This record gives sequence, C-alpha cells and structure tokens, in this order.
Amino acid sequence: MENKEKYEQVFIKSFALTKEDLNEKLIYESVPSWDSIGHMGMIAELEDVFSIELDTDDIIDFSSFEKGKEILQKYNVTV
Amino acid sequence: MSENIRSQSFDLMGIQECQRNRYPLLFVDKIINVIPGEKASGIKCFTYNEWFFPPHFDDEPNVPGFVQLECLVQTFIMTFLCMEKHKGKKTNFAGINNVKFKRKIIPGDRLNINATLESFKRGIAKGTAVSFVDGEPACSAELIVTLPDVFENFKPKKVAIEVKND
Repeated sequence: MENKEKYEQVFIKSFALTKEDLNEKLIYESVPSWDSIGHMGMIAELEDVFSIELDTDDIIDFSSFEKGKEILQKYNVTV
Repeated sequence: MSENIRSQSFDLMGIQECQRNRYPLLFVDKIINVIPGEKASGIKCFTYNEWFFPPHFDDEPNVPGFVQLECLVQTFIMTFLCMEKHKGKKTNFAGINNVKFKRKIIPGDRLNINATLESFKRGIAKGTAVSFVDGEPACSAELIVTLPDVFENFKPKKVAIEVKND
C-alpha cells in the first residue's frame, strides 16, 4: 500500500470518515470524532503504520489533514 | 523475578494516597495483585449501610449501574496511579465501551474486580475491567481514562480554515 493510501486509511479508521471527507477543510475539531482523544488515537495509529515516534511539538502542531503531511516529511515519510 | 514479589497491594488509606475519589464516591475497599503498568485487582464489599441502597430501591436494594462502573474504573486507574510519578493525580473518564451487566449485586455481596491496562501513552489509559460475585460475572467494560496533567501537554493547536475566493 502506498504511503498516501496508508495515511488516508488512518484518518478514515480513526475518525470514521469517508475518502470524500479527506481534504484541506479537515482540521482538528472540524468533525466530532477528531477531538483531543481521537487525536491521540490517530497519532498512535500513524506511529504504528509508519513505524515512527512523533515529537511532542509535532503532535501539537498536527492540526489538519494537510499539515500532517508536512510533519510526516520530517520523519522521511512522503505522503 | 516472580509476580508475587513484584505485585503490590493497597488498603483504603493507600488507595486514597493514589487516587482522588473520596466518600461517598470511593467504591473500592482494597486493591491487591497490582503489577504497576499492567494490572490490578480490587475488592468491594457492599453492606446495606451504603447510601444508595435505601433509594435504589426501597423494596429491592441493589447496586446502581453507575456504581458498578465506578468499581471497575477505580480499580483500573490503580494500574497506573500506583506509580510514583502519577500518584495522587486526578483522572477523567474519556470513554466506556461494551458495558455488560450480568447480575444483580445486593447487600452482602463481595465484588471482585480484575483490571488490565492495555496501553498507557501520552496520558491516555486504555484497558478492560471485569467483575465477579461468588465467581459469577457481574459487570465488565472497556475503559478509556485520561490523566489531564499529562494529556493536556499533547493537545493540538486549534486552527481556522482558510477560505480561498476564486
């Protein structure tokens, strides 16, 4: 599976979304399931899927679907 | 090292050093077989002197569901609040799933609770707890509890959506 698909699947699974929901408008708290608890679950899932461990600052900055892609670049994960 | 040597137990005063629940909302009498970061077992003995029995119900006293859940979660949180770095901190409920009530608990019953911590990361504890009376299943649930002191450090920043006019 390509990184892009893995990344999308994490969001779909973590927040019970569809592929159509994955766009630049998807930000923290824009859907009920992306709350603070959901956020930590999503981060944990990303860490598992890409075998990385995000720094605290990156977890806090991970505020949108698009921003997440930038952050993952730092960990050599190109989405 | 064997489990018996590593395991800890807490009496009522020891429990109150670890967690912040107090009468009339402290619902575990003793904690045994604690492996910090892994599991804990709790014991709660119910007598008719409990404040909730007369109103629930006057003709058929039994333990309300929310009290049964508190028994589970108060045992569960001991799996990590027993650790020195977390001792005495407040916790918040974040989720309860697959709650099952299997039998009525009445005055005179002793509830045995077994809790397992499946993960504890960034202030979020996830796990399960099951309880028994005389070996019969009583109540069980999957639990998610947060430790705000830790959890708050990882909450994301809020952002506004940029609206682009074409």
